Amino acid sequence: MSETPTYIGFEEYSEHVPVSIPSAVQQATNRFVSGRAARVAELPQWEELRQIGSDIRLHTIENMDVYLAQLEEKVIAAGGHVHWAETAEDANRIVLQLAKEHNVKTAVKSKSMATEEIGLNHALEHAGIQAIETDLGEYIIQLAGTGPSHIIVPAVHLKKEEVAAIFSEKLDMNAPTDPIELARIAREVLREKFLTAEMGITGGNFLVAETGTLVMVTNEGNGRMCSTMPDLHVAVVGIDKVIPDWESLTVFLKLLARSATGQKLSTYTQFITGPRREEGEFGPKEFHLVLLDNARSNVLKDPIGREVFKCIRCGACANVCPVYKNVGGFAYGSFISGPIGAILSPQMLGTQAARELPYASTLCGACADVCPVKIPIPKLLLHLRRRVAQGDAFALPTISAPIHATATLASLALAQNWIYRLGAHLLPILNPFFRKNNWLSGLPYPISRWTKVRPLPPFSASFRNWWKNVPLKKRNLRDD
Amino acid sequence: MTNSILENIRRSLGRTTQISSPQGTLLSLRPTIYEPRLPESADAEIARFLDEIKKLSGVGQKLSPTDIDSALKKLIEDQNIRKATVWETPHLTQLGIAEILNSLGVDLVSPNASKHDMALCDLGITEADYLLPETGTLVLRSSTEKPRAVSLLPRVHLAIVRPEMLRADMHQVFEEAKASNYLVFITGPSRTADIELTVTLGVHGPKNLYVWMMDK
Repeated sequence: MSETPTYIGFEEYSEHVPVSIPSAVQQATNRFVSGRAARVAELPQWEELRQIGSDIRLHTIENMDVYLAQLEEKVIAAGGHVHWAETAEDANRIVLQLAKEHNVKTAVKSKSMATEEIGLNHALEHAGIQAIETDLGEYIIQLAGTGPSHIIVPAVHLKKEEVAAIFSEKLDMNAPTDPIELARIAREVLREKFLTAEMGITGGNFLVAETGTLVMVTNEGNGRMCSTMPDLHVAVVGIDKVIPDWESLTVFLKLLARSATGQKLSTYTQFITGPRREEGEFGPKEFHLVLLDNARSNVLKDPIGREVFKCIRCGACANVCPVYKNVGGFAYGSFISGPIGAILSPQMLGTQAARELPYASTLCGACADVCPVKIPIPKLLLHLRRRVAQGDAFALPTISAPIHATATLASLALAQNWIYRLGAHLLPILNPFFRKNNWLSGLPYPISRWTKVRPLPPFSASFRNWWKNVPLKKRNLRDD
Repeated sequence: MTNSILENIRRSLGRTTQISSPQGTLLSLRPTIYEPRLPESADAEIARFLDEIKKLSGVGQKLSPTDIDSALKKLIEDQNIRKATVWETPHLTQLGIAEILNSLGVDLVSPNASKHDMALCDLGITEADYLLPETGTLVLRSSTEKPRAVSLLPRVHLAIVRPEMLRADMHQVFEEAKASNYLVFITGPSRTADIELTVTLGVHGPKNLYVWMMDK
């Protein structure tokens, strides 16, 4: 996955969605949606927090170089190491090099979108290093050899019977179908790995520039295990995760879990500044932060598109998206799905490779309504559609001359009442002259491109006239 | 040393020169960017905190120091505890936790023992450095006396806490603790809903969380 893909299919996949996916995904998303609503209702400052969150993120995006430089300085001052990875290959090379230097045979991983993005597991396995996903959902899909269908609950498309079958086959046992028992088995198998792995690999939710602190949010405790038990902790984090300071952090911690899972806070939030200072406290001897660019610094060029980096990866946009709910995460063909994936993938992988994604939306706007940092997702979708259509330039919108002329006429008619009324009276009379059944025919190219595929319904009397002539009884549309 | 990623960010942002401090004010309302939560009365804060612990499937209760013996005895029977590890802090020493556990026949493992030995413990006992009533959160720092593994590896975690650890909002905690090299917020027992959305406790971290708020 580290090589740049040339095509990410949405249409093709969305026509072959496995029947189990929509119902499983909807069950999850509905639960998150109602949980989120309950938490939001409890917090009177919610809208204020969203606005502040959005402002902080925009400020940080516009000063990303300054905050990243500060972050690097502080991580080093705390005894950590910072590595800059321009590409996915660079990041994989850095992690592999660290693994070799430390004689690593097994690495335990907590869920990380950044390592999915760069295909780190594949690179490690290729080098003979076992990389074990330890988030329960990620562990299941790693055993199954498939990908995540939801950002928060990656294995939600699998029934417990399927999980039991996967455990039975891959762990050579007779696994029961009880979810609690299955979780217990995973705990036992993975506990041994946590204690023996030489390297822990994690992502990160935020990087606090003020002190060089990595913030990790998890529920199961596997993130704590990966960053506490092995002597070597390597965090691979996108450069867009930097935030200015701890005061900003309070805003995002209040927004994140409420938006993601409907919790007030996730179970474990860790704040890691460098390696352990005393041997007895536990924690890694060495802490390495790999700062991943992988096209992000280029995406910043587009002043509209770069708002995508406000994202704090809560998944709320996917949970409310009518398209996502019907196709699930696989359809988005990349490491991040849902509406946020539809505006992120085209920018990071190229608008031609991911050309279908900006169209994978009804533009209903539900995503923007729930986004905790107010990313105007529909606006970005439209912007990216324009970039797809124009072969990817950040050009300002241009309108072709005929459309411009038509729009000018229409706005003139709407502004001058008499022209509009004249048109409304004339058009129904003209019907028989240029309509054949419901189709306009005989029009020259390029107008024919439109009229050959779009029927023209007959012009009827104006709504105003219709309304005047309808008997009062029929006007009452309600059932009461 | 020039950093090509930072250079590229600058180019993309349309900067012509390197700047060392951010442009534009972060927020005009600083230093208080929004109104943090204000504390209620001490009793109300304690009640709120313990109530949130319950909502998170933990067990939260007030406890008088004279009832520690019987409470520990009950916990050890209920949870079938054979081995335990305890933070070596002045307060837990003063309460005589280790002696009580010994007298109840529980094996004590040093909190600085190897991770393999720590993993064999059924119970880990800690304090907390701060408590957040709004979310039912324990905030723990780490040091040789207060190792991270005690609240992570054993299947049962007991935190013995005091009212003076309460802070109204995370702002105050960060003000006081942001210089720490490690902090963890613990909000309930380890949980997952990864298989068919069935809530399962104790998937990697502790399955049971007990919080005892000591009466003055």
